Amino acid sequence: MWLVFTKEIKELLRDRKTLFFMVALPLLLFPLIFGSVAYFSGKVIKEAQEKTLNYALIGAQYAPEFAAKMAARDDLLLIETTVTRADEAGIKALVTEQTVDFVLVVPENFSNDIITAGQLTLSLYLNDAGLNNAQRRVYEVIDDIAIVNQADAFARLGVSEEIQVGLLDPILIEKISTADKREDLGEKIGGLVPYLVFILCLQGAMLPATDIGAGEKERGTLETLLISPIPRNQLVLGKFFTIAFAGVTSAMITVGSLFVWGVVMSQGMAIKLLTEFMGAISALDFVLMFLMLIPVVAIFSAVLLSLSIYAKSFKEAQGYMTPLVFVVIVPIIIAMLPGIKLEGIYAWIPLTNVALAIKELIKGTMDYVALVPIFLSTTFIAGVLIAFCTYWFKQEKVLFR
Amino acid sequence: MIEISQLAKKFKVENPKKLSEQEKKDPRLKGRFFHSVQNVNFSCDKGQVLGLLGPNGAGKTTTLRMLSTALQPDGGSIKINGVDVLQDPILARKSIGFLSGSTGLYGRLTGRENIAYFGKLHGMTDQQITQKIDELSAVLELDTFLERRSENFSTGMKQRISIARAVVHDPAVVILDEPTTGLDIMATQTVIEFIKTLKAQNTPVIFSTHHLDEVKELCDTVTVISEGTTKYNGDLASFESLAPGSLHQSFITSIS
Repeated sequence: MWLVFTKEIKELLRDRKTLFFMVALPLLLFPLIFGSVAYFSGKVIKEAQEKTLNYALIGAQYAPEFAAKMAARDDLLLIETTVTRADEAGIKALVTEQTVDFVLVVPENFSNDIITAGQLTLSLYLNDAGLNNAQRRVYEVIDDIAIVNQADAFARLGVSEEIQVGLLDPILIEKISTADKREDLGEKIGGLVPYLVFILCLQGAMLPATDIGAGEKERGTLETLLISPIPRNQLVLGKFFTIAFAGVTSAMITVGSLFVWGVVMSQGMAIKLLTEFMGAISALDFVLMFLMLIPVVAIFSAVLLSLSIYAKSFKEAQGYMTPLVFVVIVPIIIAMLPGIKLEGIYAWIPLTNVALAIKELIKGTMDYVALVPIFLSTTFIAGVLIAFCTYWFKQEKVLFR
Repeated sequence: MIEISQLAKKFKVENPKKLSEQEKKDPRLKGRFFHSVQNVNFSCDKGQVLGLLGPNGAGKTTTLRMLSTALQPDGGSIKINGVDVLQDPILARKSIGFLSGSTGLYGRLTGRENIAYFGKLHGMTDQQITQKIDELSAVLELDTFLERRSENFSTGMKQRISIARAVVHDPAVVILDEPTTGLDIMATQTVIEFIKTLKAQNTPVIFSTHHLDEVKELCDTVTVISEGTTKYNGDLASFESLAPGSLHQSFITSIS
């Protein structure tokens, strides 16, 4: 068995295409893609924040103080217009034709005296579909005026500061979370870890699986191998372990690469939080996560090898394997849904239960005893699939299709 | 010695509708089963070379695959040096050197590594493998490409490495399925010389071929298969006497 395994690994490591997908792609390309996305999206957001917005103000004469504060801002530029408040189509045209970024219409009854004027409504016309900071900038000006006007009204009404606070926010809710940082962050990103690792394991195992099964047929080496004096189950296990090794290695390289590059590229922004989070996960939890991953990889490898050995060619094998990704994604997506917990039926859905268990381990809320039936049931399924793979490898109708 | 008696093999036809009109008329098609080999008998003694002849689709490759243990017969028996292939296939495989019709090699391994891998699968030590590869390299003229990766080998190079791979463990019998198909004249001559070497070493050799000149040059006995049954079994002289002066005619006479 190890003879077959070492030979397959040797071939695997000499295959530039496999090495590219297993090592180079996760080490360089993924960080490059994610880094580029982060860089360009950051650049776009920054440009939007710094861009000077053109605006038109209709009814400025009713709110001279407000108009003056708007005009005083460096990031806003007033564009004079002859459009009146009655001409709504004209106002909208100013925005749609990009004469201005937004139009603000001040009501005729605008007053700083809240007691007499009551609540006022200003109309803000803007294209709200894209990135814009118009609303935020207008609120910053209005808030300044509103706070002063509120304070003035309360003073005239003789309301003390304590009662003012009560009037503005009659009831407050003080949220005291019992979840520590690990549980909180684990709930948010814990579901993503098994998703990423499962898919990467599967993807990493696909190429070698295709080569090891269908490739033997296509090259014409299978027949010679079948008549070598080693039992068929050892032959299968040698190939099976190669696929599993490739899957786990690929996933570990990818996750490790993303982690390292993520820390490097964040330039210290999230390191403390990340370090605290990672530090809170014990070595035992990491070991348990890896142990849970073993039968999952075994399931993937057995299924991939069975499909590959059934196929007559690389092309046919890839045709069978591609839909498998979607089959795997569904149970993992279930585990990512909010509110889904490791209990009831979810504890018995293969892959979903392991994904949920890994999430619980990350959160630090795992009942370790519950891991035993999950591990055993997943191992049982993997064992059945490996047995099927061995049976499959003995079928003439499969080998000599 | 190899003894084959009443060998039979049938395959289930997965989709009878996809069969061509010619395939539907084949007398070996019975219901949902195609009886590829129905009654094949022959034997090959030590030091003999047996030529297995037959038209395309006659059942030669299926017969050789059963002989090599790649396929399991549905009937009959195969004995190699007294070992029943059906009873103990692992033991039988140790005494078989088989070259299949396709000259497949592991492209990312060198010629030497390809040969050594199969030597190891047969339980040979590194020292034994090195010594055997040196011997085979001299006979099959492998030294110029032995250390190169086999992915860019010519058909002749591949075939010579494949033959070396098939016999690296000093098998008691050698089975070659159309070993010279697709080879140039020089590579063909190397293969023919190698079969002669095996014969000189007293190793029984069974090889299928469509080249009757090779049969004339190499074979002691001839077996002709057609429609899955043995049509002729006998020594080369008797085969030639079926139609004196023309082996082609002898072949046609044997199957008609």
